[in-house]
Amino acid sequence: MQEGLLSTYHEPLRNRNLTAWACSAILVAFYVDLYFFDHLEPVARALHLPSKWTLYGLLYTIAMCVGGYFMLQKHGNSRYHTLRTASLIAVQSLLGFLLPLALDFTGRPAYYFSYFFPLKYDILFPGTLKDMPVAVALWFIFGSFVGVPLLVYFKGKRAYCSWICGCGGLAETFGDPWRHLSSRSDRAWRVEQASVHTVLALVFVMFGLVVGDAYAADGSALREVAEHTRSFYSFAVGAVFSGVIGVGLYPLMGTRVWCRFGCPMAALLGLVQKFGRFRISVKKDMCISCGNCSTYCEMGIDVRAYAMANLPIKRASCVGCGMCAHVCPRGVLRLETRADPGPQGSIDVWTVDL
Amino acid sequence: MAEAPHHVIIGNSIAGIEAAITLRRRDRAAKITLISWEHAHPFARVSLMYMFCGQLSLKDTQFYPEDLYDRMRFARVLDRVTGVDPVARSVTLLSGAAIRYDTLLLAVGSTARRLPWPGAYDEPHFLHHFVTLPDLRALDAAAKKGMSVAVIGGGLIGVEAAEVLHLRGLKTHFLIREPSYFPVALDVAESEVVARHIRSHGVDCRTDNPVDGFLRRGGRIVLRGSDEIEVDLVVGAIGVVPATGFLAGSGIALNAETGGVETGDNLESTSAPGVFAAGDCAQVTWPDGSRRPEQIWYTSRDQGRAAAAAMVGDDVKYRRGTWYNSAKFFNVEYTTAGYIPPALPGPASAGQPPGEGWQTWYQQVPGRAETQRIVSRGGIVKGFNALGRRWDHQVWMRWVQERRPLQWVLEHMKEAGFDEEFTEPFRVLPTATLTEGA
Repeated sequence: MQEGLLSTYHEPLRNRNLTAWACSAILVAFYVDLYFFDHLEPVARALHLPSKWTLYGLLYTIAMCVGGYFMLQKHGNSRYHTLRTASLIAVQSLLGFLLPLALDFTGRPAYYFSYFFPLKYDILFPGTLKDMPVAVALWFIFGSFVGVPLLVYFKGKRAYCSWICGCGGLAETFGDPWRHLSSRSDRAWRVEQASVHTVLALVFVMFGLVVGDAYAADGSALREVAEHTRSFYSFAVGAVFSGVIGVGLYPLMGTRVWCRFGCPMAALLGLVQKFGRFRISVKKDMCISCGNCSTYCEMGIDVRAYAMANLPIKRASCVGCGMCAHVCPRGVLRLETRADPGPQGSIDVWTVDL
Repeated sequence: MAEAPHHVIIGNSIAGIEAAITLRRRDRAAKITLISWEHAHPFARVSLMYMFCGQLSLKDTQFYPEDLYDRMRFARVLDRVTGVDPVARSVTLLSGAAIRYDTLLLAVGSTARRLPWPGAYDEPHFLHHFVTLPDLRALDAAAKKGMSVAVIGGGLIGVEAAEVLHLRGLKTHFLIREPSYFPVALDVAESEVVARHIRSHGVDCRTDNPVDGFLRRGGRIVLRGSDEIEVDLVVGAIGVVPATGFLAGSGIALNAETGGVETGDNLESTSAPGVFAAGDCAQVTWPDGSRRPEQIWYTSRDQGRAAAAAMVGDDVKYRRGTWYNSAKFFNVEYTTAGYIPPALPGPASAGQPPGEGWQTWYQQVPGRAETQRIVSRGGIVKGFNALGRRWDHQVWMRWVQERRPLQWVLEHMKEAGFDEEFTEPFRVLPTATLTEGA
C-alpha cells in the first residue's frame, strides 16, 4: 500500500509545461546525436571508455540508479517495488553494463545477456550466432524461445518487462515521474494495437529475410531486399522509435512510450500473457472509483473500469509494474499468478444472521 | 404508441449516474435527464483529497468516459433545482425553466453539517468544509503553506482533510470531540493505534477536545473549548446532512431529524408517488431497524441501481445486505465486514442483539499500525475489523455466512489476505487476546 501522497500535479516538470518540453527536447537531441553523430566519441575516449556506446551504458545505468532512488523514496515501503527496482538496477548494472564492459576490455565481443529476440533481433542472425561460443548461442536461443516465454506464462510479462528488461528498467526508474501522462483514450489504445503489432510483424519479416539470405546462394536477389529491410528496421525501430521517441518523449507522453507502442518483445510476450496465469484480481464491490489506478498506469490501461465492474484484469499490454495495486487507497487490486484463482466471492445480497 | 417516459434525475454523482445507466439499460427509448450544478461529469467525491494534494486532477477522478452522456443519450442540464412540484410533476430551476417528469430521482447528496458556533458563518473567510467542488476550490485558494488550521470532527472527511492540509505544509490541529477517534467503527484500542499514527506524522491530533466557539484575536481565530488554539483556518468536518433544503414545503416528506427523504422499501417517497430517492439524501432502513441515511459510496451506488429498477416498475425491495466498508487513515488502510460493533452488546443494551456468548479476538502487531479484531458469538464468527493490512472482505463475508468457528477462521486468515506480493505474512501472535462480551 502506498505510503504518503503524491504531489504530481503540483510539479511543473511533470505536467507538460515549458520545462517538460525542454527536458524532452534535450533527451531527443541527446538520442539524435548518439545514434547519428559522433560528438560523444571524444568524450568517451577522454573517460577511457571504449566507445560512445559504453558511455551511453554508463549514463543509462546512472539514470536508472538515480531514478530508482527517487522512485523508492515514494514507493519503497512496498517490498514488491523495492525488490523489482533492485532487480532492474542489478540486471542493468551487471548484465547491461559491467559484464559487456569487462568482455570488451578483454578483447571479446560484448554480449548483453539480459536482452533476447525479438527485442535484440540481431542476436539470432545466423551470421551472429555462428561466431558465438556454443553456450552463449544456446543461452540466447533458449532464453528467446523457451526461458522468457515460460517465465511469462507462469509469472506474467512483468517478470521480463518490470524485473529484467533494461528499457523497462529505465521507464520504471528514470521515467517514473511521468507515468501518469500515458494516454488512456480509446484512440491511444487503437494506435497502440496497430503500432506494436506492426513492429512485431516487421521484425519477423526482416528476420526471415536475413535468415533466408544467409542460406541463399551468393548474390541472390534476396540479399538486397534483406539488407534494405534490415537497415530500415535498425534505423526506424532500433534508433528512432526505441531511442529518440521511446525515451525522448517520456516527459510529454508518459514513460513506456517504446514498450507500449513499439516493442515487439512486449507484443509477443503480451500474447503469452493472455494465455498465461497472470492477472490482476479485483476485490468485489470495494472500488470507490477514485482514479488512482488508471492515472498511475503507465500503459494507459483504464484499470478503474475493470475494478468498478468487478472484472479481473487480463490485458496483453500490462507490464505488471504493480503501481495500480500499490496506489489503490482501498486495496482493491492484487497481482496474482496462482493456478487456482481461489474463491471468487460472487455472492448475492444477504444479511448476517446474528 | 405511448410517448416514451421522461425520467429526471437530480444529481450526477454515483447514485444519480448509476441510476441513469440502469434506466438506459432497461429502456432504450426513455428520455433521461440529469440535472446537476456541481460538475458536468460524474467525479469521485472521495478523491477531493487527492485533488487537493495534487495526486489526481479533476479529470482523473471522472470515473466514466466523457462521452458517456452522448453514448447513453442522457440530456444534461447544468443548473440548480429550486423546487419540485410532485403534483404537477415538474421541477423548477434557478434559471427559471421548468422540467416535467414522469418519474423523478432525488440523488442530491449531502452538504457539510454546519458548525453550531454563533456567528461563524457571518465571516466566511476562515471557515471551510470539504464535501463539494466549491468547498475544495475555496480551501485550495485559502490554504497557504505555513498557516495553521484546525480540522474539527473525528470522522473520515476530517482525517482526509487533516492529511492533505498537513501535506500542503499547514500546521494542522485535528480536534475530536469524542474520547476516541472514529468511535462509530473503531474500538478504543484501534482508535488509539490510528491516533498515534496520525500524531507520528506531526499532526496535532487531540481527542476529547470539544470546541464550542471562536473569537477573533488580531487577524487570527482563537478556538474556545477545552484548550485555546490559535489558527488561521478552520475546516468543519462534523458530518454531512442531506442537501434537501430546496424540498421544504414541496409535499415530499423529509425526516424531521435528519432531513433525509422518507422512502419506502422501493426507495419511493412515502408522500409523493413517482418521486424516488437514492444515496446520501435517502432515509432508508438499516439492518438494525433504525431509519437514517446511509452516507456511503457503495450503498449510494446500490441504491441508485435499485431506485432505477423501481422507477421502471420493478418490484424492488432495497436491502443493504451485509455491512462492509473501507477507509484509509493517512497510510493505514482499514477494512471491515460483518457485524462488528465498536463495543460488544452488554446483556441489555438497546438496539443491539441481546444474548450471551459474545467474544472478541484482538491482536495488535507491535511497532506497526496493524490490528485485527474478530467478533464471534457462541464461537461462530460474525464480523471483522482490520487496520494496516489488506483483506478481501468478500472472503470474510462468506465465512460469516458459512458460520465458521473462530479457530477455523484464524487458521485460514491468510486466505483472505489481499496484500501486495512479498508483504510480510499475517501471523497469529502470542499476544492476541480473547475477551468475553464487551
